[in-house]
Amino acid sequence: MAEARGARDGGGRHEVVITGLAAIAGTGWDLAALGERTAVGDSAFVPVTRFDAGRYRTDLAAQLPGDPVLADELVSMIGTACAQAGLDPVRRSASPLLVAVHGDPAVARLPEDERTGPGAIAESLAERTGLGPAPRAYMTACVAASTAVADAATLISHGRVERVVIAAGYLVEQDNFALFDAGRSLAPDGRVRPFSTGRQGMLLGDGVAAAVLESATAAAERGATALARIAGWGRAGDAYHITQPDPDGGGMTRAITAALRKAGRAPADIGYVNAHGTGTAQSDAAEAVALHRALGEHARRVPVSSSKSVHGHTLQAGGLLELAVTVHALRTGRLPVNAGYSGPDDKLGLNLVLDRPMEREVDHALSVNAAFGGANTALVVARA
Amino acid sequence: MTTTDAGLPTLDGSVVDKSIVDGGMVADLVVRAEGRFPSAGGPAEPAPLPGFVSSSFAPLIAQAADECLRQVHGEAPADPARGDRTAVVVVSTRGDVGTATAVAQAVDRGRRMPPILFFQSVANSAAGRVAVTWGLRGPVVCTSPVGDPTADALSLADLLIADDAADEVLLVLVDQATDSAHALLLGRGPTV
Repeated sequence: MAEARGARDGGGRHEVVITGLAAIAGTGWDLAALGERTAVGDSAFVPVTRFDAGRYRTDLAAQLPGDPVLADELVSMIGTACAQAGLDPVRRSASPLLVAVHGDPAVARLPEDERTGPGAIAESLAERTGLGPAPRAYMTACVAASTAVADAATLISHGRVERVVIAAGYLVEQDNFALFDAGRSLAPDGRVRPFSTGRQGMLLGDGVAAAVLESATAAAERGATALARIAGWGRAGDAYHITQPDPDGGGMTRAITAALRKAGRAPADIGYVNAHGTGTAQSDAAEAVALHRALGEHARRVPVSSSKSVHGHTLQAGGLLELAVTVHALRTGRLPVNAGYSGPDDKLGLNLVLDRPMEREVDHALSVNAAFGGANTALVVARA
Repeated sequence: MTTTDAGLPTLDGSVVDKSIVDGGMVADLVVRAEGRFPSAGGPAEPAPLPGFVSSSFAPLIAQAADECLRQVHGEAPADPARGDRTAVVVVSTRGDVGTATAVAQAVDRGRRMPPILFFQSVANSAAGRVAVTWGLRGPVVCTSPVGDPTADALSLADLLIADDAADEVLLVLVDQATDSAHALLLGRGPTV
């Protein structure tokens, strides 16, 4: 428990714990469904029903039934996470809200002088949930949510705030579906096969998640249960290409190394890697290189999986949804299956979790994300 | 470049609003270089940027950033040791309005989506273009602020440096409503 470990780490910083966590995805309407289906590798891809996807390379995505409203689902997840954390209205009102979203497709169809940005979504969410202030929305593409986690952890660890609520969401819609189709990023065979031979690309997925991060001291003082600890975080850029990852994994290597250093951990301490693993040829190869560079010989041994093989690529929500999957894996001792596997890509040299969940008690896990612009993030998550 | 009594950078003589700065300490941030588009007496529209179409978002960012960074680094790229520790932060209240419009129109009119729009569909691409050109390998962050963009951008820069994620931060504030961008290279300590 956080209480027993003390309030500060070796560097005198406040320890950061998660006391509330909620998520929905194409896997179902709660975190339990996400955890169970990612554990066993039960992929959630179904034909898209929200628009006519027949004109695209695939019509599959990991979507929830119907046409949920992103803002409403974010409010719901924030409410669930805050309730689990036991936050009363007074504490909520003093808890900054960091939001990761892309924007509202409906806004892109308004006259230009009536348009708002993602920040307006963050402001509205803070008002609807009684949280605040919400300084900004992160729109750093596929590392938006993990960047928000890193900033929240920095604020807490430096003692600037006791608690931060993070919310992130993406729901499958036609604008991004058409963009990813045009970029030839979607898997035409309808399967996401991260790190596998024959991988053909990604599929999109719904993802909405919220988390309450707070100092271990504040959590202990009010008797809140720590679900996990954010032990380390790192971010770094590739400066290689506007959209392609550095094939030498430069930025991701440095992000992982920084996260390990902050956590005070060696590569051998990492017992599971929740990989970015989009299922695209170049991205998975670059990530494997980065894992080898950052973890050394341990990269061949540590269990690795990409839960995108089950819930798809949830874009701006990915960092938080995959953090939720990672926390669930740490708490249950069941490491998720890397689904869609169709044989080894021998060049990668990773120990993928295949066929069934790996039953293993793990103290520290790594969650990795990457994005356009050469942006990379890494989070070291510790069992509470 | 001057600072106020509180130590905050003075931008155009205005005092930065600290009210939403996350309770952070931005007192010892200094501006090492600054670039603007449009510049005094310069063109009102940014030059086309190879790889980007249909929107002024990335060209505005590139021109302001290039002007700012040239003052410190001369020609691109930056010295690798310094570039490794420089973050790129793009701040825009409404995001890339031009690209969002082009995407929405392609979908609504049933047209084939131009692949180039995929590659510029997120603000990261514009930030990444600056990072690639100048060899900046710190964090890449793009945000849409709720309140005053400058104040929030400063708090983000402060946080990245406090976290030891970067020694310097290239901030680019961009506003397509006025076709303008403002780039600041921020660090701790004395100006150079």
